[in-house]
Amino acid sequence: MKQRTALITGVAGQDGVYLARLLRREGYRVLGTVLSIPDARPIIDVYLPDVEIVELDIRNSLGLGRLLDQHRPAEIYNLASWSSVGRSWSDPEQVTAVNGLAVLGMLEQVRNLRDLHGYDPRICQASSSEMFGLASEFPQTEGSPHHPRSPYAVSKSFAHHTCVNYRESYGLFISNAILFNHESPLRPQNFVTRKITSAAAAISLGEQESLKLGRVDIKRDWGAAADVVDAMYLMLRQESPDDFNICTGTSHSLTDFLELAFAAAGIADWESWVEFDSNLLRPVDVPETRGDPHKARSQLSWKNHQSFEDVVTAMVAVDHRRLRTGLQHDPQYLAG
Amino acid sequence: MSEKRALITGITGQDGSYLAELLLDKGYEVHGLIRRASTFNTHRIDHLYKDPHDHDVKLFLHHADLTDGTRLATLLARLRPHEVYHLAAQSHVRVSFDEPEFTGDVTGLATTRLLEAIRLTGIDTRFYQASSSEMFGATPPPQNEQTPFYPRSPYGAAKVYSYWMAKNYRESYDMFAVNGILFNHESPRRGETFVTRKISRAVARIATGQQKDVYLGNLEAARDWGYAKEYVEAMWLMLQADHPDDYVVATGTSYTVRDFARLAFEHVGLNWEDHVRFDDSYLRPAEVDNLIGDASKANSELGWAAKVHTPELAALMVDSDLRLLNGPRH
Repeated sequence: MKQRTALITGVAGQDGVYLARLLRREGYRVLGTVLSIPDARPIIDVYLPDVEIVELDIRNSLGLGRLLDQHRPAEIYNLASWSSVGRSWSDPEQVTAVNGLAVLGMLEQVRNLRDLHGYDPRICQASSSEMFGLASEFPQTEGSPHHPRSPYAVSKSFAHHTCVNYRESYGLFISNAILFNHESPLRPQNFVTRKITSAAAAISLGEQESLKLGRVDIKRDWGAAADVVDAMYLMLRQESPDDFNICTGTSHSLTDFLELAFAAAGIADWESWVEFDSNLLRPVDVPETRGDPHKARSQLSWKNHQSFEDVVTAMVAVDHRRLRTGLQHDPQYLAG
Repeated sequence: MSEKRALITGITGQDGSYLAELLLDKGYEVHGLIRRASTFNTHRIDHLYKDPHDHDVKLFLHHADLTDGTRLATLLARLRPHEVYHLAAQSHVRVSFDEPEFTGDVTGLATTRLLEAIRLTGIDTRFYQASSSEMFGATPPPQNEQTPFYPRSPYGAAKVYSYWMAKNYRESYDMFAVNGILFNHESPRRGETFVTRKISRAVARIATGQQKDVYLGNLEAARDWGYAKEYVEAMWLMLQADHPDDYVVATGTSYTVRDFARLAFEHVGLNWEDHVRFDDSYLRPAEVDNLIGDASKANSELGWAAKVHTPELAALMVDSDLRLLNGPRH
């Protein structure tokens, strides 16, 4: 049988790496886009040796269309995104262009190629629990109303509605993976979770004095990136496209995260190392997200393999190793 | 401060022209944005416009395109309007399926450019966002301010985006930003490709023997149709309130396209079934079945209520189109 091809946009991001490696294990030929090959070079070299890398800004919808026409991937995973909620206030226009309008542009390209050549791929859109924002229902189901609280969330909500609209209007196979927070040792340092685990490791080695944070009472439904990509893969194996919450069903506060991370680094009193910094406050916050994972569990037979504790502990352990060895990237870091 | 200044985007459109009239009546200095084009697109406001060299001029037009954020910031800094009414959009739902990216840019992203331009210039202004009942889409009626969104077109998705951006700027930056969730609102100034105007214009032409038939798409679509001239009053009232909030503006009744056609033809003594033909190219890829707005919040908090309902609206639109055919304009 001919080898199947999958395209992952944003392949050098946290989820892209885990998903690309999963698809390679499943025998796929994997194409991946990155915004800048030089910037992504360390990730590509270490984690993505068997992935065909293409430099493409996904706002370039015609370029994306040419790529699709050339390779006709059977599956498209749209992970490319402006991923920082906190920084999305500083450039809402760019966030919208990347997270919102680029998705619309991609769907138009797919629709054109289908109508012209019968090319009819399956698409997984990385939707986000941030859409629920100031939620009115707990836990949030796939049908819960949106109340986005950041330019990031508003643009993700737009992309979500647009994907549903193209599925219903044109019969394209598009599934939204409504991803709740998910972490791994590959999280960049500008995310609060990784900032905490790297600080805990550094403090335990005497290399850092304190950790500055904004609000620590917010609660999130935190899972593992390695588990989340399983769900995306399973979603494109269903008979029909649909939207699924990808979550654990439990929420933890940032203080829970701090306590676990510092304990994993052998520090009992996290509070004495943490300083409040009002510069890190956002204009508004999402107090809590907590998803209902029932649909993904029953229809996809999907489950979380790693607990919240597993993820935090692994992140601290990897940051500890990074500090001791000086090695920022190593395939061993991916093992849960 | 002698008088209030208002800025209207989309002043050349149906709502913009009625709003400009209303604000000029109230003594405002009105500034409108127009797009540079090789054809004139200002026919709806020509009767309001005076040579800017005259004294007592109150209406000013400025060339600006909503895809140019820097231009918006420059204009806002210079004009320092007390109120900004953001009405400009690619406003045709069926066209949004043909031009989805353009619609996303103009109907969606442009709102962010305007909000960001207001924030960056730091002017103290009140912002009106023209939100739409199309945001409710497939959510069953009646729809009020609490009803979840389920947009069914690129236009609907772009309007949902803009709604949330306006709300985010209110919640994040304490900006006085409101959403007027207007259900369908029509008038003799409606563009000729919108179904109500298409019907009223066809009825006038058929009644005067200039045309035989009119081709329509889905006759079953039910909408809450009100009179645009009344709806712009609700816009103004929202910006005079003590606190920024979101309001549904609607009549609370629903009529199908078939009903509207029947009412319009009956007004001139004709039977709609003799003249309406079907053309599937007017069908949308995804349809919105039924919209009925619950405007009780606007009624109790703003004192606004629709007076003209769909039957009177159909009649006044047909009468206007008959006048246009029969003689010199107006």
